[in-house]
Amino acid sequence: MFDLLPHLLNGLTLGLLFALIALGFMLIVGLMEQINLAHGSLFALGAYVAMQLTGPRPPLPMELAKAWLALPLGWRYAATLIIAPVIVSLVGMLIELCMRRTYGKDPLYGLLLTFGAAMVIEEMIRLVWGTRDYVLQVPSAINGGFLFGDLIWSTYRFYAAGIAAGVIGMVWLLIEKTSFGATVKAGAHDSEIVRALGINLSRLRLLVFVFGTMLAAIAGIIVAPIWGIRPHMGVDAVIPAFLVIVLGGVGSFWGAVVAGLLVGLCVGLAGAYASEWSLLSMYILLVAVVTFRARGLWGKKSVLEA
Amino acid sequence: MIVETKSSPDAARLVTPTMLVLWLVLATVPLWITRIGLYPYLGIEILIWSLYALAFNLVLGTAGLPSFGHGAYFGIGAYAFGLCQLEIVANLWICLIAAAAVAGLAGVLVALFISHRRGIYYAFMTIAFGQIFWTLAIKSHRITGGEDGLLKIKRLPADFGLVSFDLTDNVAFYYFVLAVFAVGTAALWRLVNSPYGRVVAAIRQSEVRASHLGYNVWLYKVAVFALSAAVSGFAGGLFAMAQLAAFPDVMSLHQSGYVVMMTLVGGGLVSFWGPVIGVFLFLTARDVIGALTNAWMLYFGLLFIAIVLFRPEGIAGAISAAVQQHSLGALRQRSTSAMRLLFGSGR
Repeated sequence: MFDLLPHLLNGLTLGLLFALIALGFMLIVGLMEQINLAHGSLFALGAYVAMQLTGPRPPLPMELAKAWLALPLGWRYAATLIIAPVIVSLVGMLIELCMRRTYGKDPLYGLLLTFGAAMVIEEMIRLVWGTRDYVLQVPSAINGGFLFGDLIWSTYRFYAAGIAAGVIGMVWLLIEKTSFGATVKAGAHDSEIVRALGINLSRLRLLVFVFGTMLAAIAGIIVAPIWGIRPHMGVDAVIPAFLVIVLGGVGSFWGAVVAGLLVGLCVGLAGAYASEWSLLSMYILLVAVVTFRARGLWGKKSVLEA
Repeated sequence: MIVETKSSPDAARLVTPTMLVLWLVLATVPLWITRIGLYPYLGIEILIWSLYALAFNLVLGTAGLPSFGHGAYFGIGAYAFGLCQLEIVANLWICLIAAAAVAGLAGVLVALFISHRRGIYYAFMTIAFGQIFWTLAIKSHRITGGEDGLLKIKRLPADFGLVSFDLTDNVAFYYFVLAVFAVGTAALWRLVNSPYGRVVAAIRQSEVRASHLGYNVWLYKVAVFALSAAVSGFAGGLFAMAQLAAFPDVMSLHQSGYVVMMTLVGGGLVSFWGPVIGVFLFLTARDVIGALTNAWMLYFGLLFIAIVLFRPEGIAGAISAAVQQHSLGALRQRSTSAMRLLFGSGR
């Protein structure tokens, strides 16, 4: 049992990260009933922008760059956690403006549009940064490892899991406990009534999409030091995100979180015993669940099923 | 699912005029393709991928089922072809049948799991199974050669008993693939326009209505998926022969996405020939734009976005709309001149 503990912990931290990756995706699926396949590319873009900002050559004018580099890494990192998602959200805004044309049509169109957007963003990344791997610098306080019970633990993993839990909590508060969340949910439920109440639904949708994009970018920045930064990381993120949502059930917040943890545990445990096949385990988990539960764990009825 | 399709006046024919013209044009390709700076191998690729995209469109366009992991069956066909040739018997016909059979079997297996699902859950289950097959192909080094691929696949001679054709030359192989393509398109046209095809199209419009009419929707969904997988596998077998190897990358999510893109860009949702147009455009663009810039996917991606936004029925849809508009315009012109004649005589 004690041998299993590190793997379980590892799986749980991984699970929180999966839930974090899926969060922005879930928000857009749950509140707008649109599948954002560009989620993974926006996630990658967040990591690349953060890398550029914290790296030795920030894309700023000379003087500003000097002042920026004079700041300690810790400050720069903290600032990047806010600036990079804002930059990436501009791209998200552009996607939403294009996507408006597809609202009310078959949800397949939104999916295809974002698939095209994903391709374009990924190619842009390749054009700008090339295909080589990059490393995101993190402050030494959260870097390195510590000893606990004869084992070396990575500090960053726990920091990342902590941030993931924090962000998940904040998003939950936003959706469930604020009037913004209530309006947005109402908009997803019955857009006509919400419009009739004098609420600007297009602006609301734009905000939701921007928010989802920012969450994707934050996830990218948090996960980057663990996965490394390369063009393919977008695909590596969007598939688990999609999987977590389908497993948890479309429209269920806690379903997604629980599914994220389940997937993390599954991959973590499979990785411990058969590392070759660890990625396969999550698909088998999905097939096993969705074969018997039509809408994942706690899914609600949505237009995406039609 | 998306656009209503009208039944074509040629629905009852075995070979339609469009088909004949297309075959004839394709038969001349090796005569001029090198003169415009391309090469016969591109023609082979376009034919094989067209067959694959047509098979895929059975599921996406005819049945309206979003399958995003179809590369798996194409890849399974390629591996089955190679393994049959290397391990069992090196006979072209047996190996091609094996490719279709194994891929069809995989299709049946998957369809059993997913056919009671719809929409996003259906789409994601197909992705999940696609990823499972892809991972299996990459990780089973001993059987498939892993990421290095299954090499040393030969182009077996096409043996017709009395005569036997050697297919190692690209032009000879092109004509062989064209012959297969011709049979394949005729067969798929028959299938789509058969009573069976009509029921599948009815399921696309409304599953509930079809099942209330007494059709076993689940069984139809299983059958159409398996059939599509089998034909995709058959095309995969041809592709293994073309490449002289089978690689796992055709099974990846990206490549499965490409076939969706090709089908939709071409207009597979409104036209039987849409997938062929899409494949032609995609592969030619890959070679022509790809020769100029490395970032050809960027431009194709932008084109794809533009098509989804402004011409969601694809190129085939745009063409038919243009033709209709043109004939409408001509009609209007004729009527105005007739009016003028009338008014002229009245004055």
